Amino acid sequence: MKKNWLGTALEILLIVALSASVGIAWNRTLLTSAWRGEVAARAEAAPAANPANAVAEPMPLGLMQVKELLDAKQAMLLDARSTTSFAEGHIKGALNLPLEEAGRNPSRPLQVKVPAEASLITYCNGFSCHDSMELAKILVKAGYANVYVYEGGFPEWRDAGYPVAKGGS
Amino acid sequence: MSQLKNYLSAAVRIALGAVFIYAAVLKIADPVAFAGSVAAYRILPYFGSYLTAAALPFVELACGLLLVLGYRVRSGALIIGVLNLVFIAALASAIVRGLDIDCGCFKQGGEKTTPWAALARDLLFLAMTWFVLKAEARRGRGPEAGAGPEAPAS
Repeated sequence: MKKNWLGTALEILLIVALSASVGIAWNRTLLTSAWRGEVAARAEAAPAANPANAVAEPMPLGLMQVKELLDAKQAMLLDARSTTSFAEGHIKGALNLPLEEAGRNPSRPLQVKVPAEASLITYCNGFSCHDSMELAKILVKAGYANVYVYEGGFPEWRDAGYPVAKGGS
Repeated sequence: MSQLKNYLSAAVRIALGAVFIYAAVLKIADPVAFAGSVAAYRILPYFGSYLTAAALPFVELACGLLLVLGYRVRSGALIIGVLNLVFIAALASAIVRGLDIDCGCFKQGGEKTTPWAALARDLLFLAMTWFVLKAEARRGRGPEAGAGPEAPAS
């Protein structure tokens, strides 16, 4: 019986080691770029291989960068979440632009007039939420040149104790 | 009666394996999004999230295949059990810390599964794993205990 368990343990080690190695080999390019901390740059490099559809990718921004840009009034902040979530709480100064709404009118997603070279920052509910990236892509396609994604989103901002607001849209 | 039990345990084994294959394929399809889901738990450092996103789905895939094929079931089920315990611990820590995140268990960036719902689901998977292991132990005590080809399990 003891030998049996030893065999199972070896088998488990072998299965995990083999499958994990396959996974690491499969994702080796992603992992090397993550190791160098340039996964965001990878998305940019990809279209370069195929210049026909070379569209600028939205760039991710961190909490501090967003705070500085907002304090300097150098960027416009767009909340990609629903009107309800926005009303419950949003980053102070943000404009609500639900992804659905922008998707309905992708050639002209913004109702207000904004110069094409203005800096736009999108956000939603943090790292697990991809709406901000989708919204940013729509904005890029619509012709805005400087579109950024604040990946930490509302939860990170709120937890950092920075100004938030409720209601309105 | 024991025939029925055999069918039932085979059904549970294949269902559990299929769930893990399904989960693995969705994650393998979008490793960057899965890395984001892992990062959202704020447990692992930056590179750790990517390493997990690269390796974990393939471990899930391997174990799922073993269960569905009925080959080296005990090892596969034990790994799945340990993975489930890890998932449960991660989800529980997310709940305790009040993180409002998506489970990231299956489709990445789809509709959100709350940690509570995911926790309940993982407990069900854990129960299924337990059932599979019990059935396997029962079978192992049968006439052909320990028999099997000596090829590496992969």
